[in-house]
Amino acid sequence: MAGIMELLGMALGTFLIFSTLSMLYKDNVFFRVGQMAVMGSSIAHFILYNMKNVYNNAWTPLMNGDIMMIIPLILGLLMYTRLRRSTAWLARYPSSVLVGIGTGVMVAGTVSGQILDQIAVTMTDVLNWNTSGGSLINAIIIAVGVVTSITFFVFTKEHTGVVGKSASIGRKFLMISLGANWSGELVWYLTQLVGRLMYIKNFVTALMGG
Amino acid sequence: MSVLSKLGKIDYRWLYITSLILTAIPLVYPIGLSVTLSQPVKDYYSAIQDLPEGSVIAVSFGGSASLLDEQEAQFLATWKTIFSLGHKVLFYSTTEDGPMILQDHLGDKVKPEDYGYTYGEDYVELGFSPLGEPGEASFAANIRGVYAADKYGTPLDDLPMMVDINDYSGIDLLMFQYTACTSIEWVVRQWSVPYQTKVIATTLGCCGPMAAPYYPSQIEGFLSGSGAGTELEVLSGNPGPGAAMSDSKSIGILPQLVFIAFGNIAYFANKYMKKEDDQ
Amino acid sequence: MATLRREIPKFIVMIFGLFMLLGSFTTIPIFDTIKAELTSWTVTISAVSVWLGAVYASYANYRLYQRNKKEGIEHLIYFIVPFVVFGLQFGSGILYGVESPQYRWYFTNIYQNIGATVYAVMFFTLASSAYRTFIASSWDATALLAGGIIYTLRQIPLFQVMIPGIVGAGEWVMLVPNVGGGRGAVIAAALGALALGVRTLMGQEATITEGG
Repeated sequence: MAGIMELLGMALGTFLIFSTLSMLYKDNVFFRVGQMAVMGSSIAHFILYNMKNVYNNAWTPLMNGDIMMIIPLILGLLMYTRLRRSTAWLARYPSSVLVGIGTGVMVAGTVSGQILDQIAVTMTDVLNWNTSGGSLINAIIIAVGVVTSITFFVFTKEHTGVVGKSASIGRKFLMISLGANWSGELVWYLTQLVGRLMYIKNFVTALMGG
Repeated sequence: MSVLSKLGKIDYRWLYITSLILTAIPLVYPIGLSVTLSQPVKDYYSAIQDLPEGSVIAVSFGGSASLLDEQEAQFLATWKTIFSLGHKVLFYSTTEDGPMILQDHLGDKVKPEDYGYTYGEDYVELGFSPLGEPGEASFAANIRGVYAADKYGTPLDDLPMMVDINDYSGIDLLMFQYTACTSIEWVVRQWSVPYQTKVIATTLGCCGPMAAPYYPSQIEGFLSGSGAGTELEVLSGNPGPGAAMSDSKSIGILPQLVFIAFGNIAYFANKYMKKEDDQ
Repeated sequence: MATLRREIPKFIVMIFGLFMLLGSFTTIPIFDTIKAELTSWTVTISAVSVWLGAVYASYANYRLYQRNKKEGIEHLIYFIVPFVVFGLQFGSGILYGVESPQYRWYFTNIYQNIGATVYAVMFFTLASSAYRTFIASSWDATALLAGGIIYTLRQIPLFQVMIPGIVGAGEWVMLVPNVGGGRGAVIAAALGALALGVRTLMGQEATITEGG
């Protein structure tokens, strides 16, 4: 049997579910209050967990003698110079560090992981004559999809003639992909609805002493 | 205006109300529909099952509390599968919500201790760190660089399981759990490419099609959406929240499909009538 | 001053990017060590700067209130609510700890519930937009419709039972034409990202370090 605080929490949760769903009818005060509440709640949550991370993984090692930790801590603090117009340029330093590292790390993996390996696996499947007929046909369809959809993204050449035909076929492949994406999204949102209805059902059951 | 063309102009609120009612009905009167298994799910399960007992699985946990309805079935079935096989697990959260979800799961819903696990020896929770792609690269290269301590503040060297685990070489399988569709590229670029680490993934329904180009060459298997979570529940013999949701999804989707059919019927009816008028 | 404000940040981007590339493409141990050290900095920088988001969100909320305060008391409520919820939840996290039941109460009932319901609302908006747009009015639209419908039917247990072969068809859509189009998009996007990345590392993408 649920305790009083648990029941109160579930009652509040149920109220917030209905107030958020009420937006489907029209914008209203309950929906907006809920929207503002979640803003406060999420900021509190993000700050607490990031503070805990800084304490455990930067501050404590620094206090234990890992002197290098002082650098990212100072760089992180420099971000706050954005809040004053006269000092805002200082924030470019931590931003540059993040951009430099992020870009370097991304570029290194992109060449092999997303370009060479993707081309290699496409070609290998087509050239692998040991596979069954069905697999080979599928591999050819994939290869056609890859080549034609890449042409769709070529913007330096006008989409006419052979390039235009290829881009048009590529667009069909991309549309099928987008359709599958849409479908995944639709069923995901439906699952969210089912989840919230289950929450309400659980609240009603708890209220009745179940 | 003919009846057929009117089908394209029905008030949306009918779609809303019918969807809501039909979704709610199976929650009260369950139907118990079966599910069919798909290949990426079977491969995901095999990747865990084929590991020798005592292998180390690193779980890059990017779960979100708001999206838990979509992913909880995947998570719970995965934990049960791993624990029942006796693998060691290293959890690290890449989202602020991660530790809260894991606390609920490991502290209440699927307790590792019930499978004979001991904290620090068989599983470790490293807590939250805003890793992103550079952070994943850092973690793979030197775990202690991003996590000096576990979520309780215990230094990693004081945990028996972590003594020999310093970087990617101590990890047998990476399980990447994410909710931002393009994040799959992070593990491909930072784990799969440089270290050839075995990777499996779990994600939302809409991200599955975007993970598919990397399967099975760079990602051995993946779960996308609660449907895949339900399939894993069936495959591993661990029923959970996915099965309970299946019926509601089955019935709740019907109005949407009917409305799409109506929209198309109205479009072709209008087109046909316009043609008739022109003649 | 221009050197301090513009040139040094550009140089930092280049040098840090170069270290990452050396760490990835060479087998010299010192570059591996530098890469591991520098990438770990990004985590701390991000975590330390999180309060910045709170300051910006508060300012945006204040501006919203200033703009609407004449319209009635409800805007004062909208202004106060996030601060009250923030104070209660933050205070509870500090006092009792983020693992405490007190903190979880706020997390589950406010944060999780509203967040999850917003996505549930999206079901209705996506459904109504599909009613208008999922029409087979052209070959492109038909491809979109076919991909969407087949994969939807594959995901729903009712149709798995009712339509034999729908699972195979859905999986085929996912693993063949979707992979063809998706892989093309992956390669094209990677080429674009690579070009942008190289320009950034060469100091050609000034916009990235111009902010602030």
